[in-house]
Amino acid sequence: MRKLLGIIALTLIMTSCDGIFSSLYDVVETTSLPFGFKEINESDNSGTLYLDTRDYAKWTYINLRDKAVDTANMLNNSVEPQDWDFAIHRYDVKTNGGMVRQTDFISLDELRQYGHYDEGNFTADTLGRVIVDMSGMMNGVIEYRESNINKVLSRWLNVDLSTMPPIYTMSGKIYLLRLEDDTYAALLFADFMNEASVKGYITIRYIYPL
Amino acid sequence: MIKTQFYTTAVMAVLMLMPAILCAQVSVMTATDIDSLEHHLPEDMKLLETVVITASRTPKLLKDVPIVTRVIEARDFQAVDVSNVQDLLQTELPGIEFRFSMNQQVSLNMQGFGGNAVLFLVDGERMAGETLDNVDYSRLGLDGVERIEIVKGAASSLYGSNAVGGVVNIISKRVEKPWTLNLNTNYGSHNNQLHGAAVSFNKGRWASSTNVRYTSCDAVKMPNSGDFGTIYGNKTFNAKERLVYSHKGLTMTGRAGYFFRERESQQTSHDRYRDFSGGLKAEYDISENDNVMASYAFDQYDKSSFALTSGYDVRNYSNVQHVARTLYYHTFSKQNVLTVGGDYMRDYLMSYQFHNNGFHIQHTADAFAQFDWNITERLNMVSAVRYDYYSLSKLSHFSPKINLMYKFNKVSLRASYADGFRAPTLKEMFMSFDMANIFMIYGNPNLKPETCHNFSAALEYIKNQYNITVMGFYNMISNRITTTWNQALNGMVYDNMAPLTISGLDCSASASWDCGFKVRMSYVFTNVDYHKGGLRLSSTRPHTATARLEYGKQWTHYGFNVALTGRILSAVTCDEYTSLTDLTQTKQVTYPSYTIWKLSLLQHVGRGLDIKAAIDNIFNYIPEYYYSNSPATTGTTFSVGLSVDVEKYFNKITK
Repeated sequence: MRKLLGIIALTLIMTSCDGIFSSLYDVVETTSLPFGFKEINESDNSGTLYLDTRDYAKWTYINLRDKAVDTANMLNNSVEPQDWDFAIHRYDVKTNGGMVRQTDFISLDELRQYGHYDEGNFTADTLGRVIVDMSGMMNGVIEYRESNINKVLSRWLNVDLSTMPPIYTMSGKIYLLRLEDDTYAALLFADFMNEASVKGYITIRYIYPL
Repeated sequence: MIKTQFYTTAVMAVLMLMPAILCAQVSVMTATDIDSLEHHLPEDMKLLETVVITASRTPKLLKDVPIVTRVIEARDFQAVDVSNVQDLLQTELPGIEFRFSMNQQVSLNMQGFGGNAVLFLVDGERMAGETLDNVDYSRLGLDGVERIEIVKGAASSLYGSNAVGGVVNIISKRVEKPWTLNLNTNYGSHNNQLHGAAVSFNKGRWASSTNVRYTSCDAVKMPNSGDFGTIYGNKTFNAKERLVYSHKGLTMTGRAGYFFRERESQQTSHDRYRDFSGGLKAEYDISENDNVMASYAFDQYDKSSFALTSGYDVRNYSNVQHVARTLYYHTFSKQNVLTVGGDYMRDYLMSYQFHNNGFHIQHTADAFAQFDWNITERLNMVSAVRYDYYSLSKLSHFSPKINLMYKFNKVSLRASYADGFRAPTLKEMFMSFDMANIFMIYGNPNLKPETCHNFSAALEYIKNQYNITVMGFYNMISNRITTTWNQALNGMVYDNMAPLTISGLDCSASASWDCGFKVRMSYVFTNVDYHKGGLRLSSTRPHTATARLEYGKQWTHYGFNVALTGRILSAVTCDEYTSLTDLTQTKQVTYPSYTIWKLSLLQHVGRGLDIKAAIDNIFNYIPEYYYSNSPATTGTTFSVGLSVDVEKYFNKITK
């Protein structure tokens, strides 16, 4: 009988009104996370970029030299910043006159040891289009804008729309970005979601200059 | 493809009839053995002596229940080698389809009723949580299950909301032996694994049973294109404990359970599902004619997203239900039973689909009464009324029912009217969800409850080893809840639909012979009729059938059972809107017919070893295009398994 009373007591204690075992889960304050450059290591020129690219109307511009991030809204014709190296819209990427090569490396350290950054074919941006407004999608209206896109760098994330919901697959590869001034950056796109698994939050690990 | 399916079905039909021909002679021969007949009742006759609970909420012999109740016992699901309720129901019952809805979430269609209109119970208790209107069926393993009772048709007068199209009640095993220990393992195609253990003891006033189970399956890529391309890999873990104390007419049951599922839905994040359940129940025999029961049940179903890179496991959904219940039975004249009772439920829901990941709480209360009246030896009537109240919607509903059964010779006639309803859920009332920055989905606090007037009539004929049941049903459904496009809000809004009717015919025939053959065939015709411009908006298949042919023998140290099971589903052509926002244009879509058959072999070796092997989809059916309601098969698959009843090696063999 004691056993049963024990179970009764345990049940009553454990079953609080709004649930039990909430400590199993992590609480992430997604809105308060800082965006931009973080974890900068001056000794080896590496760091991490954390960006919010959920807004279809927005380009996020990254200036690797000055460690600066800026945005411009296409719908209200905001002007892009004067100095930037590459920019991200949702998962599309463009460069500021740069060229890109996809390597077979998946580790920034291994790439650094290998050197020979200038080998292989680099690809420049081409004219394409990006979605700027999805709000009319259910009425069959999606608004696009013409824009340069770097097709090689945009391969970092493959979005398979043949099934719903889409399947997102990251390449996991390191991309070499040759800037206009012939300096090189190594970019590893590490995630497209935040800690709460909300899509549109991009984490990039980088080395600049290489 | 259609020709192949026709021949497959024809061959299988002939196979099904063979035992009747082969055993006819055997039956004549064995019929002379009167002793044998008396001591070896056919399985179906034994089944009729099974005590069931779902149809009337009181224990009653299956043959005396005034509503057609299908019972699937443990030996049935061992024979056909299925390990979860989803596979079992599809194998045994026509008219049931588990299909994928968005994001490979599993949804049920049972003769035109969706998952939110069929009430799933575990030992009479509701299950918390839902995804796209369906409970998590993967919680429902068959370990520790004694039988499953299925009552088709409305049953809100006993069970309240959601019992619109039927009730599926999963009944746990009672511990009867002094001790048992079972270890089992199963391995199949696509690295499909199941490992389980069950231990129980029964000592004096105490009885305990513990079950643990682990399953896993790799991601499976479909060979052809379709609405889904790769089925996510997943793993589950389930543990449950029941402890029973019995003494002098008092029975107290304590239970606790934990369930975990992880789905490899994305490269960098997995979906996780957890359930914590517990409960206490006290039953007391006040006198020979009076019994009382009181119970408390707790069920919490959580969903979270596990980010593989950061290791964060963030909960985005939690449904917590507390249910208190009391029941009182009084028996008049040793045969007429009055049941009165009431429930209270506190329903807490936190969801990412609410504004700012908020939560809502609703209290519901109900009272009901039922009278089971044996008017004459042949005529039985069960009538019930129930009143439900919902605090947030201020909604109340009155649900009556009346069931009649008349028996003569070897025939039972049943007729029934029952009311069913489904109250709007917290999700349907308060959703405010941004669908990927594309559009919003809004709840509607002014929703009316779905209602259903269910009429059915059935004839059951039982003679010796033969059992034939034919049932007709007609459902008048109003205010079914769905989402519609709202141009002003530029989003989807929950709303009530125009009326519809669901009618049809449900037939089954079964037979078993002493020579070891058993056959069961079932067929359902379903017609869903929308009163809306002649459109056929339902993708419910009109014709479905299931079949099972078994042959088994048992000697002292060896036995076997071979089972061939099959499902046949007709094609369905329906109208689908071409746009979610403009309901003026439709297109016709045809979902193809298909049939799938499975061959299972179960061998009993020595005292307690079972060896299982199965070939599923033996005719290698592969959909040319994977629609959401196509079977998620890649063709023929194989599985093998072992199960050991350890206690049998310590017990003396008794003949």
